[in-house]
Amino acid sequence: MYQFTADAVRRVLTGVSTRLWLAGAVFVAGVVVAVSVGRLTAGALRRLGAPEAIEGTAFDRTTRRFDTTAVGIVSRIVTYGSVVVAGFAALSVAGTRAATQFWTRVAEFLPSVFVALLILLVGLIVGDKIELVVAERLKGVKLPQTGIIPTAIKYSVFYVAVLVALSQVGVQTLSLVVLLAAYVVAVVVVSVVAFHTLLTSAAAGVYLLLNQPYVIGDQVRIAGHRGIVQEVDLLVTHVESDDEEYILPNALVFREGVVRVRT
Amino acid sequence: MGSLSDLSEALVADIDGLVLFSPSSGHHQQFGSLDDDTPVVVATENPFDAERFVELPLEFDDVQDRIRYGLEGAMEHGFVEEGDVVACSAATFGDNPDTLVRVRVDEGMRSGVYALFAESRADPSVIRDVFEVAIELGKKGQKGKPVGALFTVGDAGKVMNKSRPLSYNPFEKSHVHVGDPIVNVMLKEFSRLDGAFVISDSGKIVSAYRYLEPSAEGVDIPKGLGARHMAGGAITRDTNATAIVLSESDGLVRAFKGGGLILELDPEDY
Repeated sequence: MYQFTADAVRRVLTGVSTRLWLAGAVFVAGVVVAVSVGRLTAGALRRLGAPEAIEGTAFDRTTRRFDTTAVGIVSRIVTYGSVVVAGFAALSVAGTRAATQFWTRVAEFLPSVFVALLILLVGLIVGDKIELVVAERLKGVKLPQTGIIPTAIKYSVFYVAVLVALSQVGVQTLSLVVLLAAYVVAVVVVSVVAFHTLLTSAAAGVYLLLNQPYVIGDQVRIAGHRGIVQEVDLLVTHVESDDEEYILPNALVFREGVVRVRT
Repeated sequence: MGSLSDLSEALVADIDGLVLFSPSSGHHQQFGSLDDDTPVVVATENPFDAERFVELPLEFDDVQDRIRYGLEGAMEHGFVEEGDVVACSAATFGDNPDTLVRVRVDEGMRSGVYALFAESRADPSVIRDVFEVAIELGKKGQKGKPVGALFTVGDAGKVMNKSRPLSYNPFEKSHVHVGDPIVNVMLKEFSRLDGAFVISDSGKIVSAYRYLEPSAEGVDIPKGLGARHMAGGAITRDTNATAIVLSESDGLVRAFKGGGLILELDPEDY
């Protein structure tokens, strides 16, 4: 009886080719590497302060409800991705039959899927975080309409993340890119038109602050307004006459020129 | 012990309002629900969003100054009116309220301390920063020796036109503002120089080394103060500036506005 089982074991052992043994070893090693890579990723993210950085975002809250953290999800994606790669490596080592053309293509495709997933995740988290930061910044401005700005920025970031992820997987994204370009152009055009005077004033203000062609206390005449300079800042110059204070944009100072009045 | 509670009851009898100078959240809620007139809170910050709030620009160490400032501010905001009798709870020793003061609000309370900060040309924060610099300078002096200093704050254009340089202006083409971290050290070094510091409405240090040339007619400042105070007081009469003067002889910080002495602080108290 004992003799028989020993024979069977020997037959099985010799029957399985060394190639398969090698493949098994590769797979086991791959799994070990994958688990440690996942652990390393989680550790690195924690040491970089990722949990604190994303605290309070919608994504963070969602993951908390499922009893996990964003760091856990990212490290798990990395681990599973590595395991799958290890599996394909093992299959290709094991023999040609398993790695048919279909499976090779899947093997080539899968890493980009994982990368796309990671990009999506990062995009979600970054979008949430930017929304929080911008909202915090705008808190001082007590204007209810500003509430739309953080939301718009958040969805812009989401859109870009989805776009990058889709192109990573190989989906045709040309129309989406065109849409994004149109959106960006619209934002740029609107802000250039809206902030045109502010920008020119700021550029002029930089010159005025650096070179100081006139200083506080000088008698000047700017565009017909005569008085004593009281203040020069980035955007405006305060000129005060006996009973009037003119607040003149620096762009005007540049366009009209300054007359320094000698007394 | 009946007489003691009688005493405190007499203090708060028929009062028209309550002013909290060292509020704790418990106090505020407790009194807030008492009647429909919520107490006026006077403090450096407003941690629990009191509806009626007067911001203190400085931790006035003297309780009288603090109450005077708070009541002036409250009058300005319309929280209290002339003729009101209010009870003020404040902290004289330590941080917890330990003092109850009964005050009658009248025009005599208007010493101009509140207007000095809130209604000057310069930003209140700029005036506060200059006060802090002057107090710091008064406390430590220059290398242990007492120094004097004269700052004019606000209306810098007019002040520059009513003064002349004693020497080259060390702040020429610089963009230094009071309140910048390095400024205390810098001003301490420059306080060795004679003359006045000129600071603009937004806090930019326009010049040092200025010899002020106001006309000293009709300036009402106490006798016995020196030329520095006289110059500082007089320039505030000729311009809309505020002058903050650190005396070299008695080490006090004084503020002038409109040609008159408004506030006197001892740096050692801060």
